[in-house]
Amino acid sequence: MATRTKSMDKSSGIRLSRRTFTKLTALGTAAALSGISSVGTSAAEILVPAASAAPAPGVKLVKSICSHCAVGCGFHGVIEDGVCTGLEPWTDHPVCQGGMCSKGTSIAEMINSETRLKSPMKKVGGKWVKISWTEALDEIANKVKQVQSTYGPDSIFWMGSAKMTNEECYLFRKFAAFNGTNNVDHQARICHSTTVFGMANTWSFGAMTNSWNDMRHSGLIFFCGENAANSHPVSMQHILEAKRRGAKFIVADPRFTKSAALADQYIRFRSGTDIALIMGMANWIIQNDWHNKDFIAERGYGFDAFKEEAAKYTPEVVEDITWVPAETLKELAYDWAHPPAAELGEDSVACICWAMGATQHTVGTHNIRSFACLSALMGYVGKPGGGCNAFRGHDNVQGATDMCILSHSLPAYYGLSDGAWKHWVGVWNRHAPVTFDEMKAKFAEHNGKSLINVKGLTDSRWYEGVLNTDEFPVNQPNPVKMAFVWGHSLNSITEMKKMKQAMEKVELLVGVDPHATIAASLADRPDGIIVLPASTVFEKDGSVSNSARQVQWRNTLVEPMYDSRTDYWIMKELATRLGFGAHFTYNSPEDITREFNLGMRVIMMKQSPERLKKQQQYCADFGVEDCQAKSGPCAGEYYGLPWPCWNDEHPGTPLLYRNDVPISEGGNDFRTKFKDAAQSTPGNPVSDDGVSMLATGGYDELNSDGTPGGGWKTELDEDFKDIIAQNLCPSGSGRMRFRAWNLPDFVPTHREPIESPRPDLIDKYPTYDDVADHYRIPCKYKTIQQERKNLVNEGFPLILTTGRQVEHMGGGAETRSCHYLVELQPEMYAEINPKTAGSIGVKHWDYVWVETLRGRCKVRAYVTERVNDQTVFMPYHWAGWFEGESYADRWPEGTCELALGDSVNIICVDGYDRTSNMQETKACQCKVYKF
Amino acid sequence: MTTYKFLNVIEKCINCGGCFAICKDTNKVPHGTARVKIVTINEGVPGERNIPVSCMHCTNPPCEAACPVKAIEQRADGVVLVDKDKCIGCGYCGWACPFGAPQYPHDLHGAAAEYEGIMDKCTLCVTPFVPGATLKSPQPKCAQFCSTKCRLGGDINEILPQYREAKARNIIAWQERV
Ligand code: SF4
Ligand code: SF4
Ligand code: SF4
Repeated sequence: MATRTKSMDKSSGIRLSRRTFTKLTALGTAAALSGISSVGTSAAEILVPAASAAPAPGVKLVKSICSHCAVGCGFHGVIEDGVCTGLEPWTDHPVCQGGMCSKGTSIAEMINSETRLKSPMKKVGGKWVKISWTEALDEIANKVKQVQSTYGPDSIFWMGSAKMTNEECYLFRKFAAFNGTNNVDHQARICHSTTVFGMANTWSFGAMTNSWNDMRHSGLIFFCGENAANSHPVSMQHILEAKRRGAKFIVADPRFTKSAALADQYIRFRSGTDIALIMGMANWIIQNDWHNKDFIAERGYGFDAFKEEAAKYTPEVVEDITWVPAETLKELAYDWAHPPAAELGEDSVACICWAMGATQHTVGTHNIRSFACLSALMGYVGKPGGGCNAFRGHDNVQGATDMCILSHSLPAYYGLSDGAWKHWVGVWNRHAPVTFDEMKAKFAEHNGKSLINVKGLTDSRWYEGVLNTDEFPVNQPNPVKMAFVWGHSLNSITEMKKMKQAMEKVELLVGVDPHATIAASLADRPDGIIVLPASTVFEKDGSVSNSARQVQWRNTLVEPMYDSRTDYWIMKELATRLGFGAHFTYNSPEDITREFNLGMRVIMMKQSPERLKKQQQYCADFGVEDCQAKSGPCAGEYYGLPWPCWNDEHPGTPLLYRNDVPISEGGNDFRTKFKDAAQSTPGNPVSDDGVSMLATGGYDELNSDGTPGGGWKTELDEDFKDIIAQNLCPSGSGRMRFRAWNLPDFVPTHREPIESPRPDLIDKYPTYDDVADHYRIPCKYKTIQQERKNLVNEGFPLILTTGRQVEHMGGGAETRSCHYLVELQPEMYAEINPKTAGSIGVKHWDYVWVETLRGRCKVRAYVTERVNDQTVFMPYHWAGWFEGESYADRWPEGTCELALGDSVNIICVDGYDRTSNMQETKACQCKVYKF
Repeated sequence: MTTYKFLNVIEKCINCGGCFAICKDTNKVPHGTARVKIVTINEGVPGERNIPVSCMHCTNPPCEAACPVKAIEQRADGVVLVDKDKCIGCGYCGWACPFGAPQYPHDLHGAAAEYEGIMDKCTLCVTPFVPGATLKSPQPKCAQFCSTKCRLGGDINEILPQYREAKARNIIAWQERV
């Protein structure tokens, strides 16, 4: 077990172990110890005693937010002389009420982990050598300059992270811009990019509409591709409370999950057939005339097209596609349209919740669109207990998405148009002088066009940008020659064999992470890798956005441990060496917050650091039912000031699109975002088929002077208080879209996965045509689906699907380095049905191979009825083995994780969402056999 | 009078392991030993339930009765504690306990090595694995941190109303549906 040791104290060289501490404090010498401490904790730290226990003398309790999922649970770090020695609950935290899952409660152990990377390391002649920060940064910066001058700025791929603070995420996107490239991306691409495209193209914003606490008011909670008991454990507090109050809880999933075990009803359906299931429900509702005609008429667009497509999904057709019996489907549709009265009586509404079970598909964007349309069909949006609750993954993936560490947009979803760049350059120019022309000059030209406006490579297929094969040539001046893996696990990306080759081919690979991770160990190469120890999120100040758009301030618990540095510091040092340091030098994290407060106008992230800290201090005033402060200095505000937060007086918007409360009190409406450019005029947005996109009694988006126009997005110094005082929503009052005329399918349409067990259905519901340029790389759909049409009869009879374990997070480098979590979940496995196990002669916990066209994994067999006899399930947090071979000896000494396993993403399918380039991980064909 | 107990609303346990990990962290319980653990019944099929299992600080502790050297004692506040210096590691309490709460850890290192084979179990966070000079007041960290508030621990007068509330359901009975 790790001893909690303070990193070498930089000034005095004193090391104190946690055990020494316990002993000394027990002897009553804590006061003397404070004299030894020379490293103070951050000045910005706010000290608040836990409600439960008064800390012992010399012990500080510091509030922080968990780093493991987007529920955003709070806790108190117990800090003794600069060392985090344990946790105390934050019992009046509005979201978690003190609760935390095993990942959260292991945080002290993870901060103090002995396997953290302790200094910059470089691989030389097959060996890892320790280098200084100066050497490392100089070498990296020189290589960046050389690659940029030889091959152009697009030959570096910047892979960023949802585990940075909002401030750092924002700077990371800005950093890529100053490096003259859009080849920047992060985990949102591979977790919820399809949610953002799907929701934003239906509702107008791409985020969770309601909140964790709001689910307490639901009459029916429908999970489709979500297993909160594993992936968002503390959210179950609110879901189970709703259930206690009489709500019905239904889980539809290919697997009988831990969440399904607690549900009122479980519906098993085939991986990759969500659209058929949902459209089948919609059809049955429409056939029975249960839908909300008022809502559709007043606030919807394109219902007829939707109805026409839905009509194809009769209960019998759905049964054939999805495995769900026609009668079950009818009941499900009935339940959706008639949620139990629960606590809201006649106004009872239902919400739909999902995570990667729905997003990680070739049709992911349309899965999410189908959910949004199902909700709109009943008018369940903009109401307490209703809405579309996308459960985001990482602790700050909502924030990182909002900051758009994404190759297709600048922060706040402005996109990459000249107008978008001018907006942001205008913001950046306030910090240090820069013009649009200077920015544009940094970018390369390709095919006669500046790449400043061209979407970059995505993290889901960045390796193709390196490999540049004849089959998948990269559409940019030169292939990628250098890659940064900055707070991003690589084993959460599919096609790992190709990625491994790419990691071997780049001229320099730079890993930045608290742990060495497989960025250090995966590539077979004697040199050309540098890994830098980043601080954890508990070693710095900053804000973090949970899935419910609630922004929370996180205080420094301890100073950076070992020789680690914050992501901000590393960016600033590199920027300085690259000649644009002034743009990345700030006096405090708060200064960065204020800078993005100014520019993040599309989603109005105007939560000032002062307001966030005040909310943290007075958190006890916020109610658990609606997260609103009923009294105290924050009275009227919603916890986390959920965006859009229009100005310094606005309470935040807890429920998106709720138009029955004033905008000034958190009301909202559908934006008038969808308009056909050729036919629309200010004040009169129309669809491609000429229909007005204004809601009944609605109005177009506004300039600050009240005239129609997009001024609310660009007028930096306006606070729109006058307009809001008239109860007008500056972003307009428009219509949601059943029919999205800019997407490959205007209305959600079932398409079989690339690898499907039903050759007959491939003929009927084929996937998309191949695409020549999908984020700079060709993408194959029909060709490979046709080639693999008979896979089910050619030795790959089972469907492979993947997912989460509660004990591990993402790629697992942190959690697999934690003793407690490894004790709970020590090895990689594949869940197989007892029938499958019997047919291949395998007993529980025997080793098996799971093989697909891509390769195979050696894992334990977990024999269970969670999966049926046509499905195999594997968790995706594992790495360190590659097709059965352990790579344990390839890590820098002492940095290998405590538990290793084969990575399922070696074998997942090479399919990608047609809109967002999300990788498909939930449906492909495999076989399982004895090791 | 204060009496400490646990009450588990098992319909709400999601087997997230939060209790297990915070107990390890707070009490420095070594790898391989657990003071609280989740037992899952009917895994993977309807009726699957998770049950947090630990010492229940019984009103009439059978372990206390079984201990041949009188190492186990129940305090006036209900907390059942073992005196690790008296314990001979015979295992009788393990036989007597209906929950298998007593643990006899092996393969210990560092300061814990002294307690090789000596009984350890939940102390309501009064003492860690390696007992210190002082006893803390009972503060069940596992209950305070429980994800879903299914594990209630503390003074029975405080937690019983919470337990009743958690069990009392809306008339649209989930009881029928569970
Ligand atoms: S991982 Fe999520 S549910 Fe678990 S403690 Fe952290 S924020 Fe809460
Ligand atoms: S009360 Fe304390 S010692 Fe007992 S199981 Fe819970 S955390 Fe562990
Ligand atoms: S913390 Fe609570 S919900 Fe989680 S496993 Fe323990 S008892 Fe169950």
